[in-house]
Amino acid sequence: MSGLTPTAPVLLARLGKPDSASLGTYLADGGYAAWKKVLGGVKSSEWTPAKVTDVVKASGLRGRGGAGFPCGLKWTFVPPKEKRGDKPVYLLCNADESEPGTFKDRLLIENDPHQILEGMMLASFALEVKHAYVYIRGEMVRGAEILNKAVAEAYAKGFLGKDVQGSGLDLDITIHRGAGAYICGEETALIESLEGKRGHPRIKPPFPAVSGAWGSPTVVNNVETLACVTHIVDRGADWFKSIGRNEKNTGPKLYCVSGHVEKPGVYEAPTGIPWEELLAMAGGVRGGRKLKAVIPGGSSAPMLTAAEIAGVPMDFDGLAAAKSMFGSAGIIVMDETTDIPKAVANIAKFYAHESCGQCTPCREGTPWLLKMLRRIVNGEGKRSDLDLLLQISNQMGNGMTICVFADAAIAPVISGITKFRGEFEAYVTRSTKPEFEQLASSDLTIAVADRNAAGVHS
Amino acid sequence: MAKVTVDGKVVEVPNGANALEACRAAGVEVPHFCYHPRLSIVGQCRMCMVEVEGVPKIQASCTVPVRDGMVIKASTEKALAARNATMEFLLINHPLDCPICDQAGECKLQDNAFGAGLPVSRTSEPRRQFPGYDRTPIGPHVIADMTRCIQCTRCIRFCEEITQTGELTFIERGGHTIVWTHEGKALDNDLSACAADVCPVGALTTKEFRFRKRVWWLDKTRSVCGGCEIGCNVSIEHRDRVVYRFLPRVAPAVNDFWMCDYGRFRAEELNRQDFLKPEIRVAGGAAERRQTNWGEALDAVKIAIDRARNEEKREDFASKGKEEKILFIGSANLTTEEAFLLATLCKDSLKVSAPEFTVDIGPKRRIRNKVDGWIYGAEAAPNSRGAEAAGLKRTKEGDGSALSGFLSLLPSKKSSSSSSSFPAVIYISDANFSEKCSDPAFVAILRQASVLIVHARTRNALTDAADIVLPIAPLSGKEGTFVNAKGLVQRVDMAIMSPPVVRTDLEVLLHLGQRWSAFDAQWTARDVFERMQSSVAGYAGLAWDSDALVGNPPSISPAAAYDVLGLERDPDVEVFSRPSVAAPDRRS
Repeated sequence: MSGLTPTAPVLLARLGKPDSASLGTYLADGGYAAWKKVLGGVKSSEWTPAKVTDVVKASGLRGRGGAGFPCGLKWTFVPPKEKRGDKPVYLLCNADESEPGTFKDRLLIENDPHQILEGMMLASFALEVKHAYVYIRGEMVRGAEILNKAVAEAYAKGFLGKDVQGSGLDLDITIHRGAGAYICGEETALIESLEGKRGHPRIKPPFPAVSGAWGSPTVVNNVETLACVTHIVDRGADWFKSIGRNEKNTGPKLYCVSGHVEKPGVYEAPTGIPWEELLAMAGGVRGGRKLKAVIPGGSSAPMLTAAEIAGVPMDFDGLAAAKSMFGSAGIIVMDETTDIPKAVANIAKFYAHESCGQCTPCREGTPWLLKMLRRIVNGEGKRSDLDLLLQISNQMGNGMTICVFADAAIAPVISGITKFRGEFEAYVTRSTKPEFEQLASSDLTIAVADRNAAGVHS
Repeated sequence: MAKVTVDGKVVEVPNGANALEACRAAGVEVPHFCYHPRLSIVGQCRMCMVEVEGVPKIQASCTVPVRDGMVIKASTEKALAARNATMEFLLINHPLDCPICDQAGECKLQDNAFGAGLPVSRTSEPRRQFPGYDRTPIGPHVIADMTRCIQCTRCIRFCEEITQTGELTFIERGGHTIVWTHEGKALDNDLSACAADVCPVGALTTKEFRFRKRVWWLDKTRSVCGGCEIGCNVSIEHRDRVVYRFLPRVAPAVNDFWMCDYGRFRAEELNRQDFLKPEIRVAGGAAERRQTNWGEALDAVKIAIDRARNEEKREDFASKGKEEKILFIGSANLTTEEAFLLATLCKDSLKVSAPEFTVDIGPKRRIRNKVDGWIYGAEAAPNSRGAEAAGLKRTKEGDGSALSGFLSLLPSKKSSSSSSSFPAVIYISDANFSEKCSDPAFVAILRQASVLIVHARTRNALTDAADIVLPIAPLSGKEGTFVNAKGLVQRVDMAIMSPPVVRTDLEVLLHLGQRWSAFDAQWTARDVFERMQSSVAGYAGLAWDSDALVGNPPSISPAAAYDVLGLERDPDVEVFSRPSVAAPDRRS
């Protein structure tokens, strides 16, 4: 278990240094060494795209965006040159970080953009990409400014552009700002949005690796994943594998701890650190209170009770075994003072607001869940509501929609009601209206409310 | 072709088909909203859910391409539960305004609610409303009501993929998503009302049909649009002698699922009640015309024509040159049967030269089908090819024919030089054969004939000047065939019996011909059709009742129109094989 001993920060190495985002700071820290190393070996065929892919594959790096798909394997899905013909390959860096409770990518972008750019350059080399894009969330104005500046610096230093460092390779990176839609973090919606269309997820197959942006093979990687690529190529796959709980959960990982802890923030720790150690890093539960529940992987992950999360290794497989999800490692800690029904209603509001409106179950289901949850926490719930909430949730997920947004939206509702049913029932039983009146008032009311009252934009 | 098993039944479908189409081919009804055979697949209504063997998750069948050996389970409990779920979601916010909704009766949401919905509603939440986005015109013909919209995006895809004008788009997001025009734009293109056709619910309706008739009362008659020579197959939808609307009939080789707004809204023309009455002027040009009966009117026509023929013979005898004393003017508005009767009468009985006709070249119309892409029509009448094939002579400017002579005289008001050789009798079988017929200058030229006979649907300058007026029925009262721009022979059925005072052109010509023992007045259009088959190019071997002539049945509803097609996504596969009809030889 030596892989779990804390090491010096890698991804956050430059955090807190003066002018940490500048190229000078990055170069002084030995930045772009991997890129120079690879470029230097192009002519001699010491470094080939396949070799970079193999290194990443060997490192066991899994996508840091949420799904945890092995990164190197994803790269191999791009059809070889003979099959794809003249079509270019695109690399898209998914910087549309908008999962509630997740804020690691923003930290990396704003404090160490060159680390990400170098990762993109290496990935572009591995995938034979000539033009890579960073799709950055619209709200991250500062991040986009910093990235643009970093890209300009990289061009000026000759790390990007035509014939990079005399290697004969061309590479361009463009920063594209989104318009602030959560769904554009979904890779096919991101591609649609990048193409200038509405951010609607596409039907899969075809997968982006075969037909993505402008119909060309496309790889979409998370910011943190690409930052890891830099260090993997720089220090080798074995180094990366030496960190982490086991073969399948390797490398350093950024944990976003928020909620009722003493020191909320981003913490770098080996993948698979036990829950208690992570909580201790964040200073423990606020005010010495008791832990009630944890959402371990961004708001889309089913919540876990204090008993369920005890001793769980915080990684993809550990949390899957606990019947939740590691997701984007956005860990929301809730202490005993938390009102779970209100928390669930709050999350439901987010999903009702962010549903793209494409598929019927999600478009109609998310506002329905919200309306019912609001009614319950406003003291107008009905006894039958709890089962109905579960039934509606079940008929939204599991392949009923094109993307997994609906599955994400129902996870907190289902886990909240099943694990904290007592709290919901307390709301329903102390409902302000007797049963027959509840029926009379809400079943026979025809909407005259304006769209704010009726919907989710309150 | 791929062999696919649907609910135990094996069907062969083209490789490009999807699971939904395979289910339809197997006769298994899978409810759906966003799928349309002519539009791209978006798979977003999530109504057509089926199970596919080997795939763990339930699938929207329209998004699943078939492959050989695929096993589709369309009627499992899981699939039916998924459809129930989608129906429930669609209905929680859909207004319960079917009693005042024009789509009721031809609404996919109603159909599928019956077929796949739950009998009760479990929601008690207020329904979503869109103040400001309901009952609002979004173009010259289409009214949008977004409270009824189910966000299937068919209309958006129609405007993007068929008309390629892209006026419509989604606005807002999630539960607030509405379909609307882009800022400052209107849904104004030449096929805009088809957007209301593809709408499976009452979210888009046409202004012209709104609140006029419950659709289940409508009688439907197969017809062909008379707006131009493309000959879009239409269904005349009428009730109690009132025509309420035209809907396109599916014709893959002609108008496919569509028809243009110009043609569609000509329907209202058929409701004009300003029929004329048979009238004659007895004592030359000076006296007032008086109303008469059909017998006397046709007798007067015979007398006038016979007198002119006798004069002609005498002049021939005196060898004063061969001037035509009788001029017949046909029209491209006549059915081929009528044109044939007119031509036969001239050729066989009266021994005068063939009737001449001309067609106005009007604004360009267009329609799109999958076989030809866009096809264009420029003529203002439906049957110039049929008229030509039947023996009428199409005049061109300066070809020396009498009609082109009259038309070219037009600018210089009146020419005295032609009066000496002017025909004594002009018989015009369509008082609206050209828009010049409303021009007093042109009418004045024609008026130089001593007897002017017209068939007329409505009054205009020409009918005012005529000596004998024979009132005739509009398209909805006619029977016969038209030959369209592609040379296809298409049948027009009678939708409404016209008032007894008017007759169809066919009846008029039959009764007139009977006076020279040329025709039998009891003949129907079908009899004429069968008699002319041997002599009219393009008609040989056709049968009056064949599918090729009749076309597809009137759709049950515009939204359900595509149901008759079943499989039609693969361009290489023709579902309705049509006998090929040779284009009429224009030189004949």
